[in-house]
Amino acid sequence: MTLIGAYAVVAPTITSLQLNAGAIAPEMAVLIALLACLVVDLAGEGVASRWVPPICYAGLLSALVLLALQWDAPLEPSFLGSFLADNLAVAFRAVVAGSTLLSLLISWRYVESSGTPVGEYAAILLAATLGAMFLCGSTDLISIFISLETLSVSSYLLSGYMKRDARSAEAALKYLLVGSAAAAVFLYGASLLYGLTGGGTGLDAVALALKTSETPVTALALVFVLATVAFKIAAVPFHQWTPDVYEGSPTPVVAFLSVGSKAAGFALALRLLVGCFDSFETQWKLLFTVLAILSMTLGNVVALAQTSMKRMLAYSSIGQAGFVMIGLVCGTEDGFSAMVLYMAAYLFMNLGAFACIILFSLRTGSDRISDYAGLYQKDPLITLGLSLCLLSLGGIPPMLGFFGKIYLFFAGWADHQYLLVVVGLITSVVSIYYYISVIKMMVVKEPQEASDAVKSYPDITWSVAGMPSLRTALVACVLITAVGGVLSNPLFNWASATVAGTPMLQRAIASALPVALG
Amino acid sequence: MLSLLLLIPFGGALLLALWPGNPAQGRMRTITLVVLGLQLAWSLVVLARFDPGNSAMQLQESLGWVGSLGLDYRLGIDGLSLPLVLINGALTLVSAICTRDIDKRPRFYFALLMVISGAVNGAFLAENLLLFFLFYELELIPLWALISIWGGTNRAYAATKFLIFTAVSGMLILGAFLGLALFTGNADFSLAPITSEQLSMGSQLLLLGALLIGFGIKIPLFPFHNWLPDAHTQASTPVSVLLAGVLLKLGTYGLLRFCLGLFPEAWVQLAPALAIWAAISVLFGSLAAIAQKDMKRMVAYSSVGHMGYILLASAAATPVAMLGAVFQMVSHGLISALLFLLVGIVYRKTGTRDLAVLHGLLNPERGLPFTGSLMILGVMASAGMPGMAGFISEFLVFRGSISAFPLATLLSMVGSGLTAVYFLLLVNRAFFGRLAVTAITDPVVHGRLDVNLAAVAPRETIPAMALAIGVVVIGLLPAGLGRLSETAATAMVQLPALTAALHGVALPSGGLG
Amino acid sequence: MSLELPTTIPLQAYLVLAALLFCTGVWGLINSRNAVRVLMSIELMLNGVNINLMAFSSYLDGQLIRGQVFAIFVICVAAAEAAVGLAILLSLYRNRETVDMERFNLLRW
Repeated sequence: MTLIGAYAVVAPTITSLQLNAGAIAPEMAVLIALLACLVVDLAGEGVASRWVPPICYAGLLSALVLLALQWDAPLEPSFLGSFLADNLAVAFRAVVAGSTLLSLLISWRYVESSGTPVGEYAAILLAATLGAMFLCGSTDLISIFISLETLSVSSYLLSGYMKRDARSAEAALKYLLVGSAAAAVFLYGASLLYGLTGGGTGLDAVALALKTSETPVTALALVFVLATVAFKIAAVPFHQWTPDVYEGSPTPVVAFLSVGSKAAGFALALRLLVGCFDSFETQWKLLFTVLAILSMTLGNVVALAQTSMKRMLAYSSIGQAGFVMIGLVCGTEDGFSAMVLYMAAYLFMNLGAFACIILFSLRTGSDRISDYAGLYQKDPLITLGLSLCLLSLGGIPPMLGFFGKIYLFFAGWADHQYLLVVVGLITSVVSIYYYISVIKMMVVKEPQEASDAVKSYPDITWSVAGMPSLRTALVACVLITAVGGVLSNPLFNWASATVAGTPMLQRAIASALPVALG
Repeated sequence: MLSLLLLIPFGGALLLALWPGNPAQGRMRTITLVVLGLQLAWSLVVLARFDPGNSAMQLQESLGWVGSLGLDYRLGIDGLSLPLVLINGALTLVSAICTRDIDKRPRFYFALLMVISGAVNGAFLAENLLLFFLFYELELIPLWALISIWGGTNRAYAATKFLIFTAVSGMLILGAFLGLALFTGNADFSLAPITSEQLSMGSQLLLLGALLIGFGIKIPLFPFHNWLPDAHTQASTPVSVLLAGVLLKLGTYGLLRFCLGLFPEAWVQLAPALAIWAAISVLFGSLAAIAQKDMKRMVAYSSVGHMGYILLASAAATPVAMLGAVFQMVSHGLISALLFLLVGIVYRKTGTRDLAVLHGLLNPERGLPFTGSLMILGVMASAGMPGMAGFISEFLVFRGSISAFPLATLLSMVGSGLTAVYFLLLVNRAFFGRLAVTAITDPVVHGRLDVNLAAVAPRETIPAMALAIGVVVIGLLPAGLGRLSETAATAMVQLPALTAALHGVALPSGGLG
Repeated sequence: MSLELPTTIPLQAYLVLAALLFCTGVWGLINSRNAVRVLMSIELMLNGVNINLMAFSSYLDGQLIRGQVFAIFVICVAAAEAAVGLAILLSLYRNRETVDMERFNLLRW
């Protein structure tokens, strides 16, 4: 009683019942699209496959437009302080919505050829998007939990969507069990935090309570909540689910999980760590330094040994998350902007790579790396696109990823995170090696060395339903990846403006400044 | 003005990539030659506009790029980079000319060639550290592709080795650049003000060490040279020309521009050790070259040795030595390109590069007399015979360094003598003696030497002739190049000399005797 | 505090009970080979959380009872999770005819 009671605060009286629901207008657009998809799906397969794509595009595009309107808007906490549409939320929600849009573009053909209903697929993916978007702006333990679970439960369904494929179901079950356990752990931590604040669930209240308490219970709550964050962004050693889920799940779903879900995870990490646990800054920074080093090392080293393309990208995404964590650990203006920038860059380069992989597997039914041998002759578009995206992931100039990665290293070095930057530099050399070996397969192998899959490559045709949209997404991603680097200054400004328009991050930067100077 | 040196090759690569239809190889080669010719012509225009009396960066161009990174698009040229830009223009043209009848994917090949040329120009002209790094990395993947697609039988291994070594070197350089800009706290990557003096000697030495290893891999210097012989032996002749003549110069250029130029204080501290390192590198390269049986490997190891002179010269950091370093870069570019071209011709005609098999190629009727004569000339130039480019550069290097580091310079002179030894071995075995009357089949090395070699068409030797003329002209009339680079070389060593004076270290002074 | 606190049982007792339930759940999660049992173990963990929330709510937050609201959300989400979990398990059972965790090894764990 003494432990907890001391922090009990008088319950705040509700002064104004302003919901300020305009803040979630983008989510509403997605929700309407979701409901429309469900309704259209009732009308039968043919109607669904015709109407679902435009409905989804309309919903997501209007969500993006509404997000753009929210940019730099005056900040009002909505729903009694459980949601905040600051620039950070806007930026990450845009990344999530963008990743859904691109994943949908590349999934139609895949879903149709697998013989599963399109409407359901789109509805579940939109539900996951909804959860991820809410997660980016949640500022209350309850809303965090709800949006986290909306995202997670839809993701479980998505990864098990290929019902006839035992591997898909197995991936889904593993994802579900690990994910629910992580959610339970998060909840336990959250319940302890609820007690510590003496009855508050808002992140502000939690931050206030944490400032004045350093008990073992606080540390326990911290560890529990952080473990879940680490699980969501797949940091080593909370990464074991990633390779299995990525390998077993349908590829378009993996594309979404690797970008959209991860972006939401990083938004959550920022909200919780920077906004809430700032009184434990040294501890969580140390912890995340270790996690970042482990992720970069293990992710990139294990990726070397993979023979499956999806599994290789799974491990590479673990390594990439490690790079992004450098920005998180810095806690400087540059660090946060670098995170935002890299997530945006990652959206395009990773989805571009996935678009190529999906196209390849649609045409050959394989995702083994060795089956890509000699592809340049049969399919120059996949070869060029995948090569550019992989080079960008490896941080080779003049691709977009080069600028993102250099900005992360720059921010890390400016904040004296030498160890992290050195590990980052070394592991990027490793990552260049395995990305290059895929390129070597495609570009260097001569026609006589080509794999059987490539030798019996079907004629390229774009006329089948769903293929034009796949091509659009692929070309868009590859173009942005290739040209975006040279023209990246607006993107850099956008990332800085994101940080500048987020009071929570500004406070953290301001509080870090005296330390940096001293 | 300078941007055109980048735009021409990059635009050419794009043009070739997007050229409609499926043009014949000859057509693509012509396009490439026109583009690279334009590039060379434009660098001559730059040469004409260049004021050799001015030691500062000239013809500058500046454009903001990514402000939050401190990355500006800033180009400039001075007496150090101008000769290298010229060499790059000339040698890429040469390597495009001597590319004949490649067996596959000519479009990709020529496009990569132009991309490399543009990237190298960019690296030489960049006035911003990050911009330099960007171009330095940009050349990595195209060269990897050139080796791994059009290389010899063991090309995958050699290309991967090249890639890993160079990627590591890039990361070291990036780390050092970040360190330099951010330790000093101003997040400025521009080349102009030297900020390393604000740092403690410890961190200066650390950053300089990272840079030295980074560029040492690229140059390459002794313990980091491992990738070079493999890359050379597996690469095709034009790629070898490019690699030896142009890309290695990125390393030496970085050594002069960034190691010496940005860390004068730490450089003075390290100079004695660097001189010893240079001598070891020279001796190792020469001794290893003696042991080689493969002509191309021998020339490759000679590069390791000859690049050591540049480290020696920059360690001494006297105006004469620096001028020698510039000369050595130019003459090594020309000479090694010449040697690789000739080895390429020999290989194409005889099907082997093995010195145990080759014999008597100078035979006037059945052999390769003209190639052999050019080879003898190239070998003499490389060994530093007076009257050729190699002599001037070695003389300047040794003259400028001997008062500073007598021991290291003497050891390097021994290395220079060894050059004569192994190249005489090469010439003696492969070209002198009698060409056998019947075909020799060597069971040990599986090489086979025909006794009636196809005649070498004049067009095959024209590039080599041009290079040989260049070697002789620079050897006989060094004043032109000297005037171009003298001011820059003198300016470059002023800072080390100044700091040395401040620290009471005696640095030798030398004039242009 | 306006609400009458049940002082006979201290808050700590509830917390200990919740911790025990949670630990039991964790133990079951780690040790079960049957996938249904794993799902049930997760439910146990969530119930531990619910007890925590309810206890804190009635002891510390008598007016706004956020904890009770939270608990209801947890129950709802747990139901959804269980439904999805069982559905996935069913489809997996159709494919593999087993619910043994050790035999789900198509993907390297």
